[in-house]
Amino acid sequence: MAYPYRHEKETRVMSEGFGDPAARTLAGWKAMGGYQGIARALEIGREATVEEVKASGLRGRGGAGFPTGLKWSFMPKDARRPHYLLCNADESEPGTFKDREIIRWTPHQLIEGCLVGSHAIGAAHCYIYLRGEFFESTQVLARALEEAYEAGLVGRDIMGSGVDIDMTLHVGAGAYICGEETGLMSSLEGRRGEPRVKPPFPAAVGAFGMPSTINNVETLAAVPHILRHGGEWYRQWGTDKSPGTKLFCVSGHVNRPGNYELPLGFPLMELIEDVCGGIPNGRALKAVIPGGSSVPIMSAEDCRACSLCYEGVEAAGSLLGCASVIVMDDTTDIVKQVGRMAYFYAHESCGQCTPCREGTAWATRILRRIEDGRGTEDDLDTLIEISEQMTGTTICVLSDSLAMPIISSIEKFRDDYLALIRRGERVGAA
Amino acid sequence: MSEARFHNPGWAGNTGEFDLTEADVRGSEFVGEQPPDGGHPGVAPSLPYMLARKDPEAPLFEGPYQERFEKIRGRYPTARAALIPALNLAQELRGHVSPETMDEVAGLLGLSEAFVRGVATFYTMYNKRPVGRFLIQVCTNISCNLCGADEVLAAFLEHTGTELGETSSDGNFTVAEAECLAACGFPTCVQINSRYFEDVSAADVPAVLERLKREANDGF
Repeated sequence: MAYPYRHEKETRVMSEGFGDPAARTLAGWKAMGGYQGIARALEIGREATVEEVKASGLRGRGGAGFPTGLKWSFMPKDARRPHYLLCNADESEPGTFKDREIIRWTPHQLIEGCLVGSHAIGAAHCYIYLRGEFFESTQVLARALEEAYEAGLVGRDIMGSGVDIDMTLHVGAGAYICGEETGLMSSLEGRRGEPRVKPPFPAAVGAFGMPSTINNVETLAAVPHILRHGGEWYRQWGTDKSPGTKLFCVSGHVNRPGNYELPLGFPLMELIEDVCGGIPNGRALKAVIPGGSSVPIMSAEDCRACSLCYEGVEAAGSLLGCASVIVMDDTTDIVKQVGRMAYFYAHESCGQCTPCREGTAWATRILRRIEDGRGTEDDLDTLIEISEQMTGTTICVLSDSLAMPIISSIEKFRDDYLALIRRGERVGAA
Repeated sequence: MSEARFHNPGWAGNTGEFDLTEADVRGSEFVGEQPPDGGHPGVAPSLPYMLARKDPEAPLFEGPYQERFEKIRGRYPTARAALIPALNLAQELRGHVSPETMDEVAGLLGLSEAFVRGVATFYTMYNKRPVGRFLIQVCTNISCNLCGADEVLAAFLEHTGTELGETSSDGNFTVAEAECLAACGFPTCVQINSRYFEDVSAADVPAVLERLKREANDGF
């Protein structure tokens, strides 16, 4: 079997080159139809490019699911001031590992997507903000960008079109909050990665005070294919509200973890049991976090009828987020894992807003106390109360992101908490 | 812990089923050698800044590093935006970013020392004090945690004979806990300087450390 794991039920649009060293090179990417998307975008012009992506129904793959074409259309039409495209490659949502695969296997796919995005918003400079830890994948992207510059695909007068698009790789220094779009802008400007109040929105006042658009790596990776084949073509997959394909990052207790590209709307249980080969050692499913650690936890029961599209996961009581499916079997200590997540959010809080700075740390201490067998039933009420105060009260959604797993885990796995509280025993601890 | 157990130390998908080499997965042949002057200006801010070789007294910046610093400055509309790449470059040379280094970088970019300290201390990848030749960062966040990351971290501490954050007596190893490294399908993920080691189990730890010691002896 070739790396990475593959499955016949996949629809490989963006992931075709994963595991193929030849796909990294400019020649290899061109052989796969590369740079035809940007050629068409240059031919049809800026506005038609935006319209094509609007027609595809592509939604942002970074977690929020905002329609990409619509986002691009918010950018000013005149070019009196510089416009910037910022590619968010600060992938750091626990459970998410798709952008790194795109970058290290198909760097030209991302570069082409950045060119199309820059053209669509009238940007002459695109910054790709890479998380600092991605040294190896960044070097692959850097080499590919040098190839693209040498071939006249990036820089002045790209492909002889008269359009100038420069690209710069910007490497971060370790902070989850820089994945938040306004935190990313602050960090790019050389500040602490502190999110900013919206409005003004980035399309009006973004990086360096100029109109800016921030797109996720996977969003931009889908764009060249949409330009090359058309928006209608992209809609052959997925649902009406969630068109296209998506990379599902499956981790935790499955036999074949990895990135699988599937049409949106794919059944969750089929992903776990068939595509990923089920749960190891014949264990039973206990819980799933379907969209990265920042979304509500689902019980095994919630998963039964869940289909993996934005509206499908919402109907099952959670959120698709960035489709990072974390699978937990019946040996899982839910309280320990929620406590680990709380520790993460407390560590990564930028500290600007009191409900987040205090709330994430307080919740972490309470969860640790419960885990150690020193908790009380009142602690659960306190956790819920703190979580409610952390929801919708801050500049960004970092504290909301902890509130969701806390509230949902207490709702769905209250017995796990109570067992620890009443008897000092862990449920499921192996 | 035989070497055989650890088939392909250092790269993703290490389950014994794959026919790719480590270079294929890491892309090292495609990347080739990176020039200290940073190559094309668009990629100049992107070189790895956590290296095994460190010189705490290295000047900021001289020769090709000065060239790279100038290329970086030219890529942003403000001097301030070059701060993070400049701090990265300082850490690449010196191995850590001391308060004095922060002040020096502030001077180079015309920023206040207080501002630069505020920024530098915000980011976790700046080593505020010297670390070992190999900084071993074990992800213990949820996906790795479900698959035994706590045991992997404990094994690194045991086999290096260190406490968390402490450097081993031979100066080779500093072990730290890391947040999600975005390699959740290959648990446990361990970042060692600028490389990811994936699918690491507690049983693999002695083999990983042996490999690092060999590299240290080879002058890596």
